[in-house]
Amino acid sequence: MPENEEKAAEVFAHEHEEEEHKTPGTVVLTLALLISFAVYYFANWKALADVWHVR
Amino acid sequence: MANAVAIPASHEESEVITKPVGNHAAGNSRTCDTTGLPVCLTAQLFIRLNAVLGVVALLAGGIAALLIALTRWPAVHLLDPVWYYRLTTFHGLNMLIFWILFMEVGILYFASTTLLNSRLFSKGMAWASFVMMVAGAVLVDVTILGGKADVMMTSYVPLKAHSNFYLGIILVAVGTLIGVANFFGTLYIAKRDKTYAGSVPLVVFGATAAAIIAVVTLLHGALVMIPTWLWSMDILKEVDAGWYRLVWWGLGHQSQQVNVCAMVSVWYFLATLTTGAKPLNQAVCRGAFVLYILFINLASAHHLLVDPGVGASWKIWNTSYAMYLAVLASMIHGFTVPASVETAMRKKGHNRGLFGWLAAAPWKNPGFSAFFLSLLIFGFIGGITGVTLGTQQINILAHNTLRIPGHFHSTVVGGTSLAFMGLAYYVVPLIFKREYYARGLARVQPYLFAVGIVLMSLGMSFAGSYGVPRRHWDIEFTGAQFAPGFGSGAHVMLGLMGVGAVIAFVGLLTFILLTVAAVFFGKKIENRAMTPW
Repeated sequence: MPENEEKAAEVFAHEHEEEEHKTPGTVVLTLALLISFAVYYFANWKALADVWHVR
Repeated sequence: MANAVAIPASHEESEVITKPVGNHAAGNSRTCDTTGLPVCLTAQLFIRLNAVLGVVALLAGGIAALLIALTRWPAVHLLDPVWYYRLTTFHGLNMLIFWILFMEVGILYFASTTLLNSRLFSKGMAWASFVMMVAGAVLVDVTILGGKADVMMTSYVPLKAHSNFYLGIILVAVGTLIGVANFFGTLYIAKRDKTYAGSVPLVVFGATAAAIIAVVTLLHGALVMIPTWLWSMDILKEVDAGWYRLVWWGLGHQSQQVNVCAMVSVWYFLATLTTGAKPLNQAVCRGAFVLYILFINLASAHHLLVDPGVGASWKIWNTSYAMYLAVLASMIHGFTVPASVETAMRKKGHNRGLFGWLAAAPWKNPGFSAFFLSLLIFGFIGGITGVTLGTQQINILAHNTLRIPGHFHSTVVGGTSLAFMGLAYYVVPLIFKREYYARGLARVQPYLFAVGIVLMSLGMSFAGSYGVPRRHWDIEFTGAQFAPGFGSGAHVMLGLMGVGAVIAFVGLLTFILLTVAAVFFGKKIENRAMTPW
């Protein structure tokens, strides 16, 4: 039986009830995103500096 | 807070309910055999109709996409220039507007009726919306394919198309607006008739945010398209080109933010259906949707970063300050959605290491894989490139290069379209009440499509970094006196784009064939739950 799907109505009904949660894996994924962004952003500013000289 | 959805007593009520329930008339609702959620039969009809038309638009736009990509790949260079620009116009409108809007109207009807246990506000409005949207979409497509609207999707003035092109867009916009009004009407009667208690579920809140942005978007559309339509018939003498660009992006950009809101709502919905996840924190998640409503319109300024008609301070305020508040909203959802999945999976005992929960996730369920891949592609490729390209100084490097479509194909296609495909793997069994054939192929399809889109998007982005322009038929300038100067690196990246496009098209065609086969010939689901993915 589709266990998760069967619980959908119940989950929607009780979604306002706060629960304690620990999400270390998602925190690591988020840090990976931020590091990727920092590298890409810096590379673009470096590329801009290489072609657009300020004297 | 109190419950938001009434839970049916048992699955024995799975037949059509013959007694009046909630604000449903007798015989106009049923209980879903799988989820136990109530389904309004009137809404069900229009969810089906809108989903079918959405998939038709997806197929039309997808075929055009393949032909365009095989033209931009210099080694193939398939189409002549006339058909290249014609199909680019056709592709943009079918993929960015029609496929998405039909699906979104269906999502609004679903969220406001099923999740709030309410009947649809007005069947007449739903018919009016649907007929106008279909008529408008057909009019636009026929006009483009007839060679009377080779103006690209933006249709920048003074490029002039046949008046039917603008009329078609107006019809689609007004039809969508009626659908959105029907959604708000349903919210009203659900509240009035007390079909739910407490706050609405987060998915409905997100859909409401999408609907509010849609209203602002469509008003921009009316504001810019009606004068342009009159101008195309020589009733108005002139439409100011700078004014057109400014107002048009209030339509063009915001319509994509309606997609983002709808996509995030679909993420939350599929996270619940596939893993039993529930939102981590209501206030934070709802606050993020409010940020979209307040700031996403201002972010449309990033399309005008090299436009001489608007000033630097206006550009910098909108794109370097206001836009980041909308980006913040996406970052919040980008954290809370996977975190809710992690919480649900850990609660089931998948606690090994940092990523044991992710490894144990239902990756064979196309509803889950499509949504999670959509989240990763949207965040890691679309989000990172979007924020970078939206920076005014860097935009000088990238504007009108292939980096721009490289970015938005990862948000709208890798993000929204893939999430909507994941949704379809549940809409067909739960709303059409049909089983999918070839379930092994269905499990592979999201990966196929995602790999294709990632390759295509990266190929476009890196080719654009070499300076390859967007919307250009022949970057070799065949027969010109001067060599254009694109080296082998750019050609490798354009080849990568072409290969990615072919893979993505195979993934898209697989999705359409599986879905059409299921809808018309799939095994009926009667008085039983769907076969689990």
